[in-house]
Amino acid sequence: MDTITSLPRRQFLGTTAGAAGALATGFSGVGGLTLGLVLPERAEAAGSNAGTTAVNTWLTIGTDDSITLTIGSSDMGQGSFQTLAQVLCEDLMVDPTRVALVQGGPTMATPAPIGSAISTGGSGVVRNNYWKMRDAGAIAREMLVSAAMARKGDGTRGNYSVSNGVITHTPTGTTLSYGAVAASAALSTPPASAPLVPDSAFRCIGKTFPRADIPSKVDGSAVYGLDVRVPNMVYAVIKHAPTVGSTLVGTPATPSGMLAVVPVKIWAGLGRGGELAGNVNAVAVVGTNTWDAWQGARRLSLRWTLPANAANLNTARFFADAQAAMTQAVPYTAAVQSPLGSLYTVEAGAGDPVGQFSQAAIKLDVSYSLPYVAHAQFEVLNCTVDHVPGVKCEVWAPTQVAKSALTIVMAITGMTAAQVKIHTTLLGGGLGRKLEVDFISQAVQVGMALGRPVKLMWPREEDFAHDQYRPMALMRVRAGMSRSGTIDSWVYRSVSQSIGAQRGATLPATGDGQAFEGANALPYNFGTRLVEWVKFNASPVPVGYWRSVGASMNTFVVESVIDELAAAYGQDPYQFRRTRLSNPRWLAVLDAAASAAGWNNALPAGSARGIAIGSAFNTIVAQVVEISGVTTSSIRISKVTVAVDCYLPVSPGGIEQQITGGVVHAINATLFGRQTFTNGAADIKNFNRSRMIRMNEMPAVQVVILPAPAAADRGMSIGGIGELGVPTFAPALANAVFRLKGTRQRSLPFFPNATMSD
Amino acid sequence: MPTLTLNVNGVDRQVTVNDTNIPLLWVLRDHLGLTGTKYGCGIEICGACTVHVNGQPQKSCDMDVTSAVGKRITTIEGLSANRSHPAQVAWIAKQVPQCGWCQSGMLMSVAGAMNAGHHGASIANEVNNVCVCGTYPRIKQALVGL
Repeated sequence: MDTITSLPRRQFLGTTAGAAGALATGFSGVGGLTLGLVLPERAEAAGSNAGTTAVNTWLTIGTDDSITLTIGSSDMGQGSFQTLAQVLCEDLMVDPTRVALVQGGPTMATPAPIGSAISTGGSGVVRNNYWKMRDAGAIAREMLVSAAMARKGDGTRGNYSVSNGVITHTPTGTTLSYGAVAASAALSTPPASAPLVPDSAFRCIGKTFPRADIPSKVDGSAVYGLDVRVPNMVYAVIKHAPTVGSTLVGTPATPSGMLAVVPVKIWAGLGRGGELAGNVNAVAVVGTNTWDAWQGARRLSLRWTLPANAANLNTARFFADAQAAMTQAVPYTAAVQSPLGSLYTVEAGAGDPVGQFSQAAIKLDVSYSLPYVAHAQFEVLNCTVDHVPGVKCEVWAPTQVAKSALTIVMAITGMTAAQVKIHTTLLGGGLGRKLEVDFISQAVQVGMALGRPVKLMWPREEDFAHDQYRPMALMRVRAGMSRSGTIDSWVYRSVSQSIGAQRGATLPATGDGQAFEGANALPYNFGTRLVEWVKFNASPVPVGYWRSVGASMNTFVVESVIDELAAAYGQDPYQFRRTRLSNPRWLAVLDAAASAAGWNNALPAGSARGIAIGSAFNTIVAQVVEISGVTTSSIRISKVTVAVDCYLPVSPGGIEQQITGGVVHAINATLFGRQTFTNGAADIKNFNRSRMIRMNEMPAVQVVILPAPAAADRGMSIGGIGELGVPTFAPALANAVFRLKGTRQRSLPFFPNATMSD
Repeated sequence: MPTLTLNVNGVDRQVTVNDTNIPLLWVLRDHLGLTGTKYGCGIEICGACTVHVNGQPQKSCDMDVTSAVGKRITTIEGLSANRSHPAQVAWIAKQVPQCGWCQSGMLMSVAGAMNAGHHGASIANEVNNVCVCGTYPRIKQALVGL
């Protein structure tokens, strides 16, 4: 997409194409009706406004009856392009399989609005765009019907019906296709609104359609970032300083057989933790193919200036410091940045929760810990750049944030938006790692140094060792119960680094929302509660957004502790939750999971079930995990039952896929996932020490989707799906293990030393 | 710089390599432009790089290209014309892929097991490719009837 368009903030839809002439959008081919849609996007920084004026999605109806939807978000396997198309088609009244889906690119509105980055994260593509797509479909349909009414000379709307893009004038039975009236429709002004198809008449929403990307993924023709090939291209492989916080000494010579060794620095704005902006923390070794460059990188001997405290940058020390921060953190003030940690009050209930806990009849005071976890998205980081000085910088990247990519490329090259072209490729998984643009900034530096097209790849070892990890965390929970089993006090304190602060965000008084999500606003009937978060400052390890972010961490602890309370009170953990929740949606989800899993049915000896419930991204999920044994190296997971209430399920098949995918992501992390550090260097560098389950270990997964409301309300929040299989898995598994073995797993992963071979 | 002849997808291809230790994977991807075969781990664990050598599944990321000379190499691009291999048909019918990065290797492992006479659910026992998206249940559904 070449288009650079800015629309007035309030103008949500606008025609941008004239009749039958060249289209303003840069589409080749026939003219017709083109609508630019302003879609909201997830705010990237805490507290920023999610509103945007960037036009990032386009609907084009060609005079040849083609229908094209250009989408600015990214596809990393979640299938949301197809889901958006089916939402659009409900009100456009066409078969979703007719719509050609095109990957859009970023645009820069003028002036650039805050929060306008095209970002695919937060399980947000469908939920944030649902009503916009519906309105767009309806408005386009009415513009086309109005054009047909003018053509027919009959201005009575009730005399027209639409079916699969064909308008019928019912009194005469004559028809006009959308394409036949698209050119004249393009001359009209879009109405502010148009009637939507009632929910009871849905033909598309709530059904599953085949995904357009799938055929290309079974014959090798799908083009991911690492598959991009540009004429005259050379190949670069990254080699980072092993130690966090290092910078290069001297300028390495180019070894024989290599084309270049290019030092690359951490660009301004991309410093994370101990990895400081301005440091040259990597070199790219350039050769005529990936393998040669990689071998050149392996052979290359480099000298780095290490941080003074490198010998102290060890996992055990990080946890010891976090434990100290747990007890010694000082309340946050703007003036004081404690080197250990700053205490934020997330939620404080009435009264004196700590005092109430100390007087409780039944007391639970427990600590949990979570490791750093790498993303290990299957396609390693990579980026291809064709930089022509003073002319253009063209970038191909598997990115979740095309707008951020555009911004950083403009900053590095000094070029205008018009000179920079970002191609978002397919992503071989993102999982949150491709929300970062470090790899893009590196490739641009290499491309500028070389003066010819280059593809930069991170070998798997670099991808594991230089991730921006899910933060390590410690939690302490004090929960007090009465003799009658009411949870009278709940005191929750977590210690973790701030992802937002590592990106320069100013945190609100309650702290980093992505650190405590899953721990706040819990609907349990606690008598009083205190939820605190300690911003941990004593680790330099870069941290980032990992599928479901804080919810994956806090839900493990919250739902394990609820289970501990049930055990302490001697009550069935499902019934214990039931009788301490009153939110009807949570109860319905909990009941749906328990019912589908056959919670009350007897299990054979050696098997057990565990249950957990939680919420993230406006969706409520409960899981029941059934295990059939524990070995020294793994747990046999026989069945996972997941109940999901996302308010408005659009594509049941897509939901089932994404929830199942989240469960697998959670299985790998819960059983095996961790990164550790020795003297500032990551220890785990490939799948041999970060095991992933294989097909023979895959449990049966049943996904129960709670039904849509009879008529969806625009005022209600639609829930996300992509990350929602993750948070409740770990506690449900740990709770099953407790029921089977009587041992409570309070740290993850279960099997930190598991290995994997061929 | 030696020039080798590789028989890939039924066609003899000349490739000139700087390093005879270069794995087949990178020759396929970089020299021949057959990017359907994927890099996952580089240590023969994940299976994303699986191709057929003389009809047998083989992880290509750690196979010296010289040991592929004189053998029939089949990549995902050569598995069938027009996605007509039964496994590909089943993969589309059951809508198996999510991100898709593992699926070329997965399909080559499945097709290799079929070449060896395995059918239906028993194919799963022959496939140890890793998928991190969680497509295993749909793969199992797709195997039924193969």
